[in-house]
Amino acid sequence: MVDAVHRLLFDAMGSRCEIRVAAPDGGSAQQLIHRAVDEVRRIEHKYSRYRADSIVSRINAEAGRKAVPIDSETVGLFGYAAALHGASAGLFDITSGVLRKAWDFRAPRVPSAEVLEPLLALVGWHQVECGVFEVYLRRVGMEIDFGGFGKEYAADRAATLLAEAGVRHGYVNLGGDMRFIGPRMDGQPWAIGIQDPREPEGVLATINVSEGALATSGDYERFFELDGQRYCHILNPRDGMPVRYWRSVSVLAPVAVAAGSCSTITMLKQRDGLDFLNASDMAYLAVNGEGQMLYRDLI
Amino acid sequence: MKFVLALAALAALAALSGCASIGNVQPWEKGTLARSEMTFKDGTLFNRYDDHIYTSREASSGGAGVGGGGCGCN
Amino acid sequence: MTINKESGMAASILSAALMLPGVQAHAEAPPTNGVISVGYLDYRDSQSGLDRINVHAPSVSIMAPVAGVWSVSGSLVKDDVSGASPRYHTAVSGASHMNDERKAGDVSLTRYLDRGSVTVGAAYSTEHDYVSRALSLQGSYESEDHNRTWTAGIGHSDDKIDPVNHIVTNERKRSTNFLLGVTQVLTANDVAQLTLGYDDGNGYFSDPYKSFDNRPRTRYETTLLARWNHHVAATDGTTRLTYRYYHDSFGVRGHTLGAEYVQPLSDGWTLTPEVRLYTQSAASFYYDPVYDSKLGAPFPPGYNGTGYMSADQRLSGFGAVTLGLKASKQIDKLWSVDAKVSAYQQRGSWRLFHQGSPGLDALRAQTVQIAINRQW
Repeated sequence: MVDAVHRLLFDAMGSRCEIRVAAPDGGSAQQLIHRAVDEVRRIEHKYSRYRADSIVSRINAEAGRKAVPIDSETVGLFGYAAALHGASAGLFDITSGVLRKAWDFRAPRVPSAEVLEPLLALVGWHQVECGVFEVYLRRVGMEIDFGGFGKEYAADRAATLLAEAGVRHGYVNLGGDMRFIGPRMDGQPWAIGIQDPREPEGVLATINVSEGALATSGDYERFFELDGQRYCHILNPRDGMPVRYWRSVSVLAPVAVAAGSCSTITMLKQRDGLDFLNASDMAYLAVNGEGQMLYRDLI
Repeated sequence: MKFVLALAALAALAALSGCASIGNVQPWEKGTLARSEMTFKDGTLFNRYDDHIYTSREASSGGAGVGGGGCGCN
Repeated sequence: MTINKESGMAASILSAALMLPGVQAHAEAPPTNGVISVGYLDYRDSQSGLDRINVHAPSVSIMAPVAGVWSVSGSLVKDDVSGASPRYHTAVSGASHMNDERKAGDVSLTRYLDRGSVTVGAAYSTEHDYVSRALSLQGSYESEDHNRTWTAGIGHSDDKIDPVNHIVTNERKRSTNFLLGVTQVLTANDVAQLTLGYDDGNGYFSDPYKSFDNRPRTRYETTLLARWNHHVAATDGTTRLTYRYYHDSFGVRGHTLGAEYVQPLSDGWTLTPEVRLYTQSAASFYYDPVYDSKLGAPFPPGYNGTGYMSADQRLSGFGAVTLGLKASKQIDKLWSVDAKVSAYQQRGSWRLFHQGSPGLDALRAQTVQIAINRQW
């Protein structure tokens, strides 16, 4: 007998997060939500760049020195990163995080070629040797991070945990990357507002979702503007420069990890991203540089 | 002859279960295997038609599934 | 970048994502789309220059995912059969003419589990002199890395035979069959399957419309099926090879070798040529068209009214070749069409490795099949 919808707002992975579930009683709902939050925090701590004891920090610390043993969950994530690298023809590259050092989005300054060049030499998925039990970064200074799909992965894990515990209605929202467990209690879909990429409090469109996942990538999360040109945090691993063309891309897919990867890859592909979206099976809503909204099956 | 063949089949099955190195394909390499022509799904209309025709013109039958039912095909 | 390649990219991203542990509640993926197909078969065979059997068979099949972890499928077919088939060997005169309609339906329900599935099925077919009912249960179990799948199944069928010529009345034929198989991913471009089958049948196996047809009341069949699908990266095509060995207690041994090559072309077209070679030995009680010196045709030599015997061409020793070509077109995201033509010929002299049964005329058959499919 389903009673009420329970909701928890919390901060994780550098974003505002929300878990909403319907459960037979308040006690079990709270318990389940906390188990889900624990899972999000577990992933956050295990793969955080900011914690010296995380597996990611340990791998990066040994770059150019020795291989680091990894468990099967991490092997799986590396495997997924490999698949994305292949599917995006090298545009999605988890070694491109070092380029961050060239871009300080608080100061509106475009880095020079001298600054970018040595960092670009450290970027390259082919320089990662990933085996079944350990991983080795070939050059000193190389860094990998799972920020490109870590939040989405955590959303999927948390939602699956809830679904396997018997939850049939609810969703997990980690900073805008959402995985739905099921519709509202009355069977109606959730009404989700897609943020306007140029209006922080504005909503582009409201879409109805009951299942699957919704993820959005945009040029408005971290950026600066200089001479009327926006420089955002999504960097092309080939030249170290921010991508343009899209203001935001939202994608619906069965799991958050796939939705988020596809929205990011669309941003990375710039002009070719539209062909990619159209050839896929997914519903999408994208806004290009002229403010033009393109969508399929989403509104 | 029948006995030898059954034994060969069992040996092949047993060998496959012992082998740890073949088929070590990682999940991210399975894109091609997901294509329908790479699967063994035989439920299509054409498969059914073909099987039915061969069963009514030849003495061999079956092999791929169970419980297909018979017919008085002449 | 063709549309095919791009959509393959998004699909491969999704399949890679689904493989991550714990991102979705069930691993052996239930289908995400349903499909309905409507098809039509036209079959005709001829022998000794004369048309024999003609079959027109419209059919419909549907597969639907249900509630995320189940799928239901079903099909219906109606065979309109007309023509004549020989009463013995390939004798043209006195052939038994018939006009029959056979309706058959089957339904199955599959439940997808964490690392496998369970399917229960039922089938029913009816024609004016033959009713068949069958039930089956099959399960599959995947290894942790999903590279190996074990399959096991059991089925039972129960047929009632009531021929119009009343040679026998209210006869039955029951059989129980088992299968055990394994499917193994060999490389990213190769997958193979090995299946062992066994069928235990008893009841009425004779053909009431054939002269002097008296077959044993039990039939034990063993089959071994080996299949190999290989993707050719250079052409983006796929070779599909099949070999089946069949052996039964009637003394028939058959080898089937099939090869198909699936070649995707541009614009959503796919062409699949096919070759099938078949050879079988005669049943131990099959007799050649050499008749008793005193009684003449169709009496077998030394006929005394007892013993197993059959002059059914299907139990003779022969070889057969099929050549087929299928063309498919994916019209848009939801619709596709398939069309296939094939030519079949069966000859005693084509039997491989041994002498085929003499004195039988070659049998030729042509089929045309079309199907329209819609996903949702």
